[in-house]
Amino acid sequence: MKTSTKRALSGLAMTGAAALVLAGCAAAPAPEETEVPEVDYLACAVSDEGSWNDKSFNQSVYEGLEKANAELGVQISDAESASPDDFAPNLQAMIDASCDVTIAVGFNLVAAVNEAAAANPEANFVTVDGWSEGNANLKPINYAMNQSSYLAGYLAAAHSTTKVVGTYGGMQIPAVTDFMTGFYYGAMAWGADNGTDVTVVGWDPATEKGDFIGDFTPNSGTSKSIAAGQLAADADVIFPVGGDQFGAVSEAITEAGVAAVMIGVDKDISVTSPEYSQWMLTSVEKRMTNAVFDIIKDIAIDGNAFNGDTYLGTLENGGTALSPITNFSGDQAAIEAKLQELTDGIIAGDINPLG
Amino acid sequence: MSTETENRFQTALKEIFSTSATRTVLSVFLGFVVGAIFMVFSNEDVLKAAQYFTARPMDTIAASWSAIADGYSALFRGAIYNYERADDPVAAFRPITETLRFAAPLIAAGLGIALGFRVGLFNIGGNGQLMFGVLWATWISTRVELPFGIHLVVAILMAILGAALLGALVGFLKARTGAHEVIVTIMLNYIAANLLTYFFREESLLRETGGGGTPKSDAPAITAQLPKLLGEDYTLHLGFALAIIAVVVYWWLMERSTIGYRFRMVGHNPHAARTAGINVERTYMYAMAASAAFVGIAAANQALGATSGLSPSVDAGIGFDGITVALLGGSTAPGVLMAGLLFGAFKAGSAPMQVMGLSPEVLGIVQGSIVLFIAAPPLVRAIFRLPKPQKTTVLKDLVKRSSKGEEK
Repeated sequence: MKTSTKRALSGLAMTGAAALVLAGCAAAPAPEETEVPEVDYLACAVSDEGSWNDKSFNQSVYEGLEKANAELGVQISDAESASPDDFAPNLQAMIDASCDVTIAVGFNLVAAVNEAAAANPEANFVTVDGWSEGNANLKPINYAMNQSSYLAGYLAAAHSTTKVVGTYGGMQIPAVTDFMTGFYYGAMAWGADNGTDVTVVGWDPATEKGDFIGDFTPNSGTSKSIAAGQLAADADVIFPVGGDQFGAVSEAITEAGVAAVMIGVDKDISVTSPEYSQWMLTSVEKRMTNAVFDIIKDIAIDGNAFNGDTYLGTLENGGTALSPITNFSGDQAAIEAKLQELTDGIIAGDINPLG
Repeated sequence: MSTETENRFQTALKEIFSTSATRTVLSVFLGFVVGAIFMVFSNEDVLKAAQYFTARPMDTIAASWSAIADGYSALFRGAIYNYERADDPVAAFRPITETLRFAAPLIAAGLGIALGFRVGLFNIGGNGQLMFGVLWATWISTRVELPFGIHLVVAILMAILGAALLGALVGFLKARTGAHEVIVTIMLNYIAANLLTYFFREESLLRETGGGGTPKSDAPAITAQLPKLLGEDYTLHLGFALAIIAVVVYWWLMERSTIGYRFRMVGHNPHAARTAGINVERTYMYAMAASAAFVGIAAANQALGATSGLSPSVDAGIGFDGITVALLGGSTAPGVLMAGLLFGAFKAGSAPMQVMGLSPEVLGIVQGSIVLFIAAPPLVRAIFRLPKPQKTTVLKDLVKRSSKGEEK
């Protein structure tokens, strides 16, 4: 027993050593030449509960940091929060590391980042999906997601053959219902333009009642049963606003055996998850990567002073937009022209996506 | 679980707690070594340098060394003293106060789990008991108005009472129906966690005033918050003092009181205790309640140490960390205190380590390795039914092995 274990172990050690020797034979590199000169600017980020690889907003922000590091040469640093207990210490660690800007990701960090900003007036902070409680050194990044969702709603109603479209959310919080309200009024606008009755299931902005999963667990059973319920109510376009729910919706569509499509959120889902592209009509993009990158570039490269003004992602500044349309049932060129017209109207302020 | 296996695990527990201080220190050291190995092999510079190891071996060694030095010096800066901020005493001394703050609930929960171990009970339900305590304390701290001073005391007592009741339920089920406490406590973890989420989500119950559908409570009323101990510059609060009091109470309870004597007797040998006239079933119930009551102090710490609203992840895994604290501390009062401080330091040091580009998982691996080294020999023997060695201390075993060679 003992000897055989020993043998096995020595065998393992031999293999390991051999691997090391083989791997170690490469030539030593010459001193590296970096393409992008390093910039003396340290951008840091603290995640919401969950990791940077969540395929949702934590990841979008982190990709912004990585892009800034690769293209601008700024230094980056990060800390993931395993629980709300970590929010304040993680922010403190960033302050102690003399970060030039610290990005607090998510609505849940809003209290902690406001406290940190108030206690450290010399440091600068950014809150994604949060707000500043009067701190001049805290810049909120917000999105008018209703604008792009309005376009999505209009497109969904145009695509639908049943003229019933559905939407549901992860949790009933403003960051989610903003999408759903825009979608609702967009679909209604198509109905009004074409003199056809359009029904939206899953959300009614007037009563603030609708379908919600209750959390942001990707592709949960609850999510799938909501989608199945909406399909059973004749919806043939589904807009799930809760991170990655596209597996749940596509399964519900397949099982119902109907020709329904879905609309993505946050990123262009046809590109990030091509396995769903056969069901995608479009996606409503929330471009946090760009916002983070632009804010860092503005200060670190262009030399502008940090300010606490809210960055609002809109159709106008490209912070939010629709992804390219796929699987559309009608005249795609015509609907694209119409959506462009609506976009111009929203930017000009002639169309109110919230009613 | 059969009586035979149960006895084997109780024997294993006893063996774990008969470990010497030397062995504990060695285990901690070995844990740090494992952490260092992980840091080296997860470090990009080291991996890059290893590709041309034969050409310039010193590069790999230097990179390895700097990975370890960077990592553990970041831990020191985050947990003890931040020498990089020596210009600002407030910032320089903040780490040690953070260590104490993080240690407080770990110590309290560790004491609770340790009490169970001493009676031969595996309380895996620390997290559920903590959440149940949080539920009660939050009700008092956000829904009841009481005068300054009284409010805090009532809220703390409710946290302890709430947790203790859930513990007593486990003891009751074990005593009455023979249900194994491991299974009951694990299931109660789910029930308590979801119950707390439900209360935090329902507007008529504990949901944040004016909040949306997200499960979140109001911040505890200012009269029910644990006051800061060192002024506004530091977040260290009264929770640490509560933890220290808990250590003293635990020591008295287990080493000096009659009930503690009964606890220990049942833990040593329930059959002998029964023969000696002790009501073993009732002792199990009291022990589970007492175990959970200590966890309730951790619940008070989590619920009343906050200055903003609580979310359902308020437990921060403390109920489970308490198990490792109890194991490392050998279930003694001073041991749990030291173990809690060590793991509190790990929590405080994790942020600066992440800033240095180290994975937050390093410290979890160190933590797990330490307890593994302490618990492994008797546990492994219990699982594989290996014969028990003559001496339980690792050092003597090592001496014996090195003099006799490996064969037995």
